[in-house]
Amino acid sequence: MEKFDAIVIGAGHAGCEAGLALARMGNKTLLLTISLDAVAFLACNPSIGGTAKGQLVSEIDALGGEMGIIADKTALQIRMLNRGKGPAVQSLRVQADKNAYHMEMKKALEKEKNLTLRQGEVVDISLDGENKIITTKVGLKYEAKAVVLATGVYLESEIIIGKTREKTGPNGFKNSQGLSSSLQKLGLELMRFKTGTPVRVHRRSVDFSKMEEQVGDDVCGFSYLKKGKIENKEKCYLTYTTSKTHEIIRDNLDKAPAISGEIVGVGPRYCPSIETKVVRFADKDRHQLFLEPEAENTDEMYLQGFSTSMPADIQKEMVESVIGLENAEIMRDAYAIEYDCINPTELNPTLELKKIKGLFFAGQINGTSGYEEAGAQGIVAGINAGLYLQGKEMLVLKRSDAYIGVLIDDIVTKGTNEPYRMMTSRAEYRLKLRQDNADLRLTDIGRRVGLVSDERYNIFLEKKRKMKEIEDKLSTKVKLDDRLIEFYKNHDESVPKESVRYRDMLKRVNIDIFDIKDYFGDFQNYDNDILEKVNINIKYEGYLKQQEEDIEKALLSEKILIPEDFDYLSIKGLRQEAKEKLMKIRPLNIGQASRISGVSPADISVLSIYVKKAKKG
Amino acid sequence: MDSIVSISTPLGTGAISIVRMSGKDSLGIALKFFHTKQKEIKPRYMHFGKLEIENNVFEECLMVYFKAPFSYTGEDIVEFQIHGGVLLAQKVLEVCLKYGCHMAEPGEFSKRAFLNGKITLDKAEAIIGEINAESEAELNSSLQITNGKLAEKVKNEQEKLTELLAEIEVSFDYPEYDYEEIVKEKIFDVIGKISKINKEIIENSKGAIYLKNGINVAIVGRANVGKSSVLNALLGEERAIVTDIEGTTRDSLKESFMHKGIKINLIDTAGIRETQDVVEKLGIERSLSSIDRADLVLFVRDGSVQETEEDLKLEKKINGKVVINLINKSDKPRKIKHKENELEISALTMKNIEVLKDKIVEEIIGKGIDTNALVLTNERQLNILNKCDEWMQKILNAKDLSVDVIAMLVKNLWNELGKITGNTENEDIITLIFSKFCLGK
Repeated sequence: MEKFDAIVIGAGHAGCEAGLALARMGNKTLLLTISLDAVAFLACNPSIGGTAKGQLVSEIDALGGEMGIIADKTALQIRMLNRGKGPAVQSLRVQADKNAYHMEMKKALEKEKNLTLRQGEVVDISLDGENKIITTKVGLKYEAKAVVLATGVYLESEIIIGKTREKTGPNGFKNSQGLSSSLQKLGLELMRFKTGTPVRVHRRSVDFSKMEEQVGDDVCGFSYLKKGKIENKEKCYLTYTTSKTHEIIRDNLDKAPAISGEIVGVGPRYCPSIETKVVRFADKDRHQLFLEPEAENTDEMYLQGFSTSMPADIQKEMVESVIGLENAEIMRDAYAIEYDCINPTELNPTLELKKIKGLFFAGQINGTSGYEEAGAQGIVAGINAGLYLQGKEMLVLKRSDAYIGVLIDDIVTKGTNEPYRMMTSRAEYRLKLRQDNADLRLTDIGRRVGLVSDERYNIFLEKKRKMKEIEDKLSTKVKLDDRLIEFYKNHDESVPKESVRYRDMLKRVNIDIFDIKDYFGDFQNYDNDILEKVNINIKYEGYLKQQEEDIEKALLSEKILIPEDFDYLSIKGLRQEAKEKLMKIRPLNIGQASRISGVSPADISVLSIYVKKAKKG
Repeated sequence: MDSIVSISTPLGTGAISIVRMSGKDSLGIALKFFHTKQKEIKPRYMHFGKLEIENNVFEECLMVYFKAPFSYTGEDIVEFQIHGGVLLAQKVLEVCLKYGCHMAEPGEFSKRAFLNGKITLDKAEAIIGEINAESEAELNSSLQITNGKLAEKVKNEQEKLTELLAEIEVSFDYPEYDYEEIVKEKIFDVIGKISKINKEIIENSKGAIYLKNGINVAIVGRANVGKSSVLNALLGEERAIVTDIEGTTRDSLKESFMHKGIKINLIDTAGIRETQDVVEKLGIERSLSSIDRADLVLFVRDGSVQETEEDLKLEKKINGKVVINLINKSDKPRKIKHKENELEISALTMKNIEVLKDKIVEEIIGKGIDTNALVLTNERQLNILNKCDEWMQKILNAKDLSVDVIAMLVKNLWNELGKITGNTENEDIITLIFSKFCLGK
């Protein structure tokens, strides 16, 4: 039996980050995948990032992960979403070349010296004391003290197209059979979730003249390692369904498994099938669709917004009723997929299973959705498996540290009854958790756990140094003369009465640091993205400070730790519902306890009294 | 820890109220508005001085300072002993809040006492039940304790905000979808409207809460039915504890007295009768308008005689008011027929006078009301609404800022309102996003 420090099961977006993190922290790591051809496969839309997800990617990058680097490298188009709505809600999204993405990630894994990448389907996990024994379908056994499960949507998955049900993984890949029941034997409860993917059509069959072009923006990518802008090589297209589409759907609802009740898995509200949209929003006479390139070396195009599990012949009729797709050649059918996942409330915020030490879970197996959510959990699970092996305290990112912290706290504290998607609305401190400052928030943490390379760290230190320089320079006073008056007048601002510092100028709504740079000729030696960061910090100073205060307040209750074996049942003042919820979730601290639904502020005040009492002995 | 404050005596029932602060800043806060001639504040000594409860409005009181750790909570405590009466205690509370204290949560003094090792777990356990019951009530039905319409209004306020937030958030999370994108103007429009309602609620709670200003009662009846003796019977010995606090409207009031901590103002309506005299007519008009302003009318009839024409005419004049029909002179045989919501009294023998006082309070404020809880809850809620008002002014002043910051302020406002409605689940906003907007990949 071959022995490793750690084994990662699954080489999707979570598994790859977990495997790389473990290996980079110096652990001899085995990464097992059902198919080497499915490594980091973009099974659904060919894009990385998006609102809130873009923040996740940059956070993964700041911690020393791979997703951002590869997304930048394989980008076909890049956009900065929510421009004009303020820095707090801006997010990057790239259209990635799905073939290149898979190949580049596979290469990165192959290059990693402590990592063994191997094809093999895991059918059983058993425990031997602290060690976990992994058995593959062909009877090979491996042993490791730490294991990360990142099986994605593969567990006992089934693909549904109309009446056709097939026990396979996404895109016709093999599914995972047997591992589910092995997890049940370990005492885990499983849930059944559902998601879906739309049709792919041939580029030559599309009438682009009837669609609206969507071009990219002139911006930098996710990774703090990459310098310079991302090249926009491809375009996306916007089109619409027609009343005919809706008619076809309505006429065939009895054949839609999602509507007729044949699909039992719980689907996500934010990603409904087109038939669900037509039924639920009957008053809308058209729905928006985007056509996106799948890769540079193929003519396949992804029809975003058109996920369905209708029978294939109906799908064809539906697609042909879309504007510009009248003659569309469908290359792949849309399908719904059902799969097993665990209840994430079985996990600690470290992503370690509460019941079994050294067993970690990441990605869609935890009931989330999305590549970025998976990657985010993957890197955290990898880091914590590594820290576990080192016998060190594990990493829990706070809600005020990162979107990753919000994501993990949400799922392990509240659980989820649909595939969980990250949204900016879920983050309470988003003025702090911006796309542009993930490195400032997380690089030090990544460095501490050993994931941030010297190269990355030096870039980071250099940037901090420059920011300091710029901030110092902002104290430069400009004396009140005609030139200054003209500057204020140019920007429709009332003229100051005495000499002002650059910093004061920035407090004016219509003046930013680039105006100062252009007019006074200062700050010429700094990159725009660094200037922009300082600009945001000054412009939003008051609000950032207020948010910091809110965070400080919230952190007070995060600091009151609840002992692991705390006896909730013995507390007289707690309501029964609260006791049950607390027993189940076993929050690490009072702050987490207060976010459990069904635990009231009154319960919390009672609980804090007892927790403090218990500490005093 | 922040300094906290609460009124620690049952309101209005005694001649003295105590307002108590606890926390390391409590002495500092106290000295901002308590002025004494004594040179030094000595722990555990009474200090006579004056409280500045409003600009240049002073109230004499006694102050005691307990220095940590020798106090109930183990923190610095300052206690003001002030004259009894709801309004005054509340004023002092408001001043403490204004200078930086937080309203104490139910049981918070005891909680602090426990945490500082001043009371045992046994004792703490005894109060836990109370903490639980009280704050449970606050969450589930705190608003029902007060007036139902107010509750509805605050809930509406928050619901409107939830919708607004859903619209803002959807534009952040789904920037590419073809719904009508929210524009800043709409945000300011909605906030402006809510702000108006909020201000109204604050005003109403502040101005119209009977606990503060008392209940205005008009005694109505034709001549010789015993109005004056009813008035005197009601005032009786209570006259001694009538509080005369500045700022109370006293026009056309004859007398006030306290009952169960609530001030009852008796309005003089003597002399309402048919007349041709011009001067007298004016006086009558005034009296009638003071009836209009009354929260409650005591309609006095002579029970020993039959109802007269004049009685019936008067009855029409008070149509639409909350009325208690007093059948006076019940010491004599009754001749008058039964009236709705009636009470037989005798101003002469004092029969049912105490019952009448209870009835006045019940009619207006409700039965079985715990005036203590009501006032505290109100004060806490009013405090929250005032904070909401601050947030709204901040939002309305943020017209030049980007939407993300405005959204943050709106969310803060929403959270603040949630402290009253008990609804702080972020998931509600997200649910609304998905039910209102058609989204998805």
